[in-house]
Amino acid sequence: MKLYVSQSSAAAGCVAVDDMILTTDQPTAAGSKMLDGYMSLFGAEVVEKIKAAGYEVGGKVNVGEFSIDMLGETSFYGECADESGKLAGAVAEVVKADGVKACLTLDVNGMPRRAAAIAKTVFLKPTYGTVSRYGTIPVACSGETVGVMANTTANLRDVLEAVIGHDDKDGTSLSDEKCALLKRDSDFKAVKKIAVIKAMTDKVDGAVAADIDAFKAVAEKNGIEVCEIDGSELLAAKAAWNVLMSAELCNNVSRYDGVKYGYRTPNYTNIDELYTNSRTEAFGMLLKSAILYGSQSLLYTEKNRGAYDKSLRVRRVVYDYMAKLFEEYDALLMPVCSKAAYTKADTDSNVTLSFEENVYTAPASITGLPAVVVNGVQLVGKAFSDSALLAVAEICEKEGK
Amino acid sequence: MTKDSLQKLEKLYQLCLTEEEKEGVIAFFAKQDDEFAALENIDTANVERMVHVMPILTVVREDVEKKLFTREELQRNAPETMDGYWQVPRLVE
Repeated sequence: MKLYVSQSSAAAGCVAVDDMILTTDQPTAAGSKMLDGYMSLFGAEVVEKIKAAGYEVGGKVNVGEFSIDMLGETSFYGECADESGKLAGAVAEVVKADGVKACLTLDVNGMPRRAAAIAKTVFLKPTYGTVSRYGTIPVACSGETVGVMANTTANLRDVLEAVIGHDDKDGTSLSDEKCALLKRDSDFKAVKKIAVIKAMTDKVDGAVAADIDAFKAVAEKNGIEVCEIDGSELLAAKAAWNVLMSAELCNNVSRYDGVKYGYRTPNYTNIDELYTNSRTEAFGMLLKSAILYGSQSLLYTEKNRGAYDKSLRVRRVVYDYMAKLFEEYDALLMPVCSKAAYTKADTDSNVTLSFEENVYTAPASITGLPAVVVNGVQLVGKAFSDSALLAVAEICEKEGK
Repeated sequence: MTKDSLQKLEKLYQLCLTEEEKEGVIAFFAKQDDEFAALENIDTANVERMVHVMPILTVVREDVEKKLFTREELQRNAPETMDGYWQVPRLVE
């Protein structure tokens, strides 16, 4: 099990951060050979905030290359898997086994949500813009969000309240007034009615279906009405998110060329070979596939009539559809992934599996809406309803299920 | 996606795939393209693009000079430097 890329102190009580979040006293590599050993000159805003709140940064947690994979299996430092080959996202294992207060982790393509669902930890991908992204390694800036994972909702809330807030250095950061809506004492309307997305729950294995049934039973026992709707409109989010994420990624990783920092190939005789061989030797197959797919999406050819443009419009269609659902329901219940476990063999035989399994995580990613993972299921709510979603997680904790 | 058009993208984004990798990427593209084709059924003719998920305005700051890092600090992660410059192969013969 490769949990940490580096570790500065004993884990107990610390806040760990993943390898996508810049720190000045430990290297940050985004799980990539390209950035192996990279020492940032500045720390991420979230790191400064947790230090200011009195927490120690425990260690840098292993993630897959640029965090776009399933569960960290593409990390240059090796995947986090047990002896049977079952993958476990290191961000969840650190929280579950290592006694940290919480782990801050960048949700780019749903990895932390899948890890939390499999390990049965609690995770919040907060409303976009409420936690600064300054000093996180950029991949898909229009949707990625720094999230908080913990063993208990109380710990999650403590760390969340330390990191939310406006940051002038992040152009997408919202006002302090808006960010404060995420706090415990926020009077955001409680979740009273949940819609289960049947188009998604129909396609999961028995163990995930059992998690969903158990959650429904707990919710209903506690006076929350649970309805079932088709919701197949949400399935469109995946294809659009894959285009937007890849397009943004291909631009963001174009900076890695082996000149000013990062990996430089020893195999070159001219500048073109230096660029090409550095990138070819340092990047893994999933990242290369995403770069090329993103670059194609940005092209405007006769056959490919503006995939990027279409995806931006589909994003609004999905957002509007969800906004309409939120007129009637307070939260949407979705699976996080189709299976309760994945092995290295699954991702070896299908390198781009995360571009399929993100059908469950894409709706919240593409819209920037908050998503809480608890007891292996995902609740997506309207913007700033984070605290209300966490209150449902607290109910699940109290029920002990 | 053909191998020829893939090669153009590789050149554009400075990557060089093996034959086996090319086949994998072409299969990945085919899968993605099939799924993307389903989006054509969604009428977006009168739908505005959604670039930001939150109403975010362009942020500006005072144009004040601020020295953040020294040359040495900026070159700390450089693969190769010489006399305070980043070193690269000769560009002009």
